[in-house]
Amino acid sequence: MLSLAKNAPQPDKDFASCSGCGLCLLVCPVWRRTHDLALTPLGRAKALQHGANAADIAVSVQSCTLCAACEPVCPEDIGLVEMTLDLRRRLPQPEGEQARMQEQTARPPAPQPAATAVLIPGTALRERPVTLARAQALLARTGKLALADDDGADIALALEAGMPVPKQRLERFLQPLRRARKIIVADGLLLRNARQWLPRAELVSLGVALSGLTTVRRALGASDLYVIEPRAYHADYQRLVKYYDGLRAASGCTFNLDLQRIAIPAAAPTLPQKFGLEAAAGGDDGVQARWILQGRNVTRIVLECMEDAAAFNSVSGLPVVHLADLADDGNRRNNDSRNDNQA
Amino acid sequence: MGTPVVQPGPLGSYAVEPGTVGPCHVAPDALQGIKRQQTNPARWNGPNWDEFSTAVRAHGIDLRETIAARAAFATDAGGTAHGLAHGVVIARSTEQVALLLRAAQEYRVPVTVCGGGLTTEGETVAFGGVLLDMTGMSRVLAIDANALTVRTEAGIFWHSLAEELRRQDLDYLSAPLNLTSSVGGTLGVGGIDVNSARLGCSADQALALQVVTPTGDIVECSDTHNAELFQRVILGYGQFGVITEATLRVRRYTPLRMHYFYYASLATAIEDLQLLDRNDASDYSGILTIMDCAVNVLVAFDSTEREAAFMANWRGRLRGYGELGFGLRMLAHYALRPWKLGEAWYLLQRKRELFPELRRPEYMRDGTMFDRSVVFSRAVWKFWGSRQMVIPDLATSAAKFVEAVERGNAVCRKYFPRYTLYLVGIKLRPEHLAHYEMSCIPPDAEGWAYGCEFEPMLDGRAYSRDYLQSFKNEIYDIGVDMGASYYRFGGMMKGYIRRVFGDAVVDRHLALKRAADPAMILNRHVIF
Repeated sequence: MLSLAKNAPQPDKDFASCSGCGLCLLVCPVWRRTHDLALTPLGRAKALQHGANAADIAVSVQSCTLCAACEPVCPEDIGLVEMTLDLRRRLPQPEGEQARMQEQTARPPAPQPAATAVLIPGTALRERPVTLARAQALLARTGKLALADDDGADIALALEAGMPVPKQRLERFLQPLRRARKIIVADGLLLRNARQWLPRAELVSLGVALSGLTTVRRALGASDLYVIEPRAYHADYQRLVKYYDGLRAASGCTFNLDLQRIAIPAAAPTLPQKFGLEAAAGGDDGVQARWILQGRNVTRIVLECMEDAAAFNSVSGLPVVHLADLADDGNRRNNDSRNDNQA
Repeated sequence: MGTPVVQPGPLGSYAVEPGTVGPCHVAPDALQGIKRQQTNPARWNGPNWDEFSTAVRAHGIDLRETIAARAAFATDAGGTAHGLAHGVVIARSTEQVALLLRAAQEYRVPVTVCGGGLTTEGETVAFGGVLLDMTGMSRVLAIDANALTVRTEAGIFWHSLAEELRRQDLDYLSAPLNLTSSVGGTLGVGGIDVNSARLGCSADQALALQVVTPTGDIVECSDTHNAELFQRVILGYGQFGVITEATLRVRRYTPLRMHYFYYASLATAIEDLQLLDRNDASDYSGILTIMDCAVNVLVAFDSTEREAAFMANWRGRLRGYGELGFGLRMLAHYALRPWKLGEAWYLLQRKRELFPELRRPEYMRDGTMFDRSVVFSRAVWKFWGSRQMVIPDLATSAAKFVEAVERGNAVCRKYFPRYTLYLVGIKLRPEHLAHYEMSCIPPDAEGWAYGCEFEPMLDGRAYSRDYLQSFKNEIYDIGVDMGASYYRFGGMMKGYIRRVFGDAVVDRHLALKRAADPAMILNRHVIF
């Protein structure tokens, strides 16, 4: 039991438990870009241990991308994402987000879908209707699937900022999902929280849901770079590190994993950048994407998360496709459909 | 030269002038009847700080004085020394480091250099002055896959270097089993790996360095070019310059084939380890223990050929057990000693926690371990790390090693209910003898030196610093008695250096230091 317990963030562990090992630096995209200890989980923990408060380290707190890469490597099992969110709650909140959530709350509630599986695709995938339709078609092969009316994008942003989500807004988001047995979520941070809100449903990331399909697996090849969405992966690391190791063995493709088997994020926007309060510094996204590609002999980039497309397109001429785009071979579809149903 | 300058303090006490080595205040005859203890150095109180900060900012150097910037460096991995710098500078270029040191020399401002900050005796803690964070210089500059060399900025962590090398199917040769050790910091103290018995210490892998001297000159050095500086900077504990770039030997990447052998006797395990080392029977070797009850000899190979040769020629000569055989032996041992059931339970729990971590399937396939540094380093922090770490060590010749370890083990038993020992050999390179002077390599070692770290498992228990210091002193007293050396003789343990190395060697190095660093500003509290 003890060994199992040691593999997950412990709720009673906070910055005070940080031993200063620095393993979080090795996987931190902010560290890679800045090499500034003060902007890392270690820097924040040490500053707090020695008398700093949230305001003293505000820039550091807001620079975190919440990719959660630091959590699986922390030997003290500190809940580093929660530590950062807790600090964000103590800082002035971005303006406008509460109003946006109220606006969403005022909308009439969506009807409960008849399907037992629901897809919450997120904003970026909705903006690619062809890819979204392919994803829906693929996922529908294993049972009836409904597309969520509400992406909860405003909730995801509020979570990111450490803002409270009004009860009515959360209820409007969750109510149509309550009868679903399986919920597929594209946004990793939303997925992480939805597991607490809907403990009885099976919640999976869009990447895992699609890559589990035989159709998609067959379309992956040894010259593909498969880009895992980091937040969902790190939130369920102990299970998914084995899952993707199996996918590597089956397909031979390369992943955006480092030697610690931590997913390297393709982009690392800060909180103010996500809220549009700051322009992304020139080439910031390129740093991460270039590092993922460095020394890797690949011919195609396959994404779990549409948001990563811009970063790769900015640094590479390689084709960039979503997982759902892999399965557009009409001739194979019928045969694979049978396999997916069996799976 | 060599006589400490002692001045009366305001309360009639005597303070030792910075940059000298005072009388050994932990010597048996130094404080008769008084409990021995060591404390942090006095904080530098900041004369000329304003002028200095104005001068460095005029050069465009980002000198940070916020609590958030300074507090991040307030302690090291040891967690027993605490201090705050007046300001922090993140190293961004060699020229910037040179400018900083020139200004520090002019205004007599202490500069403490920090890489991974994994020291345990406060060597990378600034007690006032400037903290120079070298990790800002972490770029790999050039990889030559044909010549098998890499040129890198010295603030880079070994793991980050490995990440870049692996993209070209290369790997470093030898580095500490700690992912966040920096290259520069390691070259300055030695660096021990489980292949050190074959390849020497990490510092032995350095071919050339770019160094900023304490007076701010930028110098390229190697064994053939500015050799004296190279010899002093390698294993020099940061006294003679800041390493800004390093050229290192590298190798083709190979996964490892691992074998573990279990012993109940330290002496037997050490004898077998030395047998393997003398006969070049393995590519990797070392000992890791759970107290002195479960002694594990680790043996590993880069190739199936080397593994097959070991199995044919040496496996049968080792007296260790396999996992099942050792388990049965322990069962019988504790069945006859029911009063030791607590110890048996601890061993069992430790095994249940630790072994799965060393065999995680994502790093092990078909009996082969990928990324040994990741596996061991993560385990090191998960199972041995804590906010306080006390790791005194002894380094001896091969002949003295069993006795040194057994005496050190007895001290561990006396002070702590749980502890671990980590033992490894270090192949000595005859052409590097000049590097080894006043280092962890004992002067009487021939062929191999052997090192043992004694690490109590503090497990969140509260021990006073005096208690921990007494433990360290008792280990180090063994070294003095046996003519051994130490890896961690700087910082809070520097009171031992005259007794360990002798006045002649210490005074010669002190004279060199005074000549190289007239204001004695660089890493002031490490050695001199």
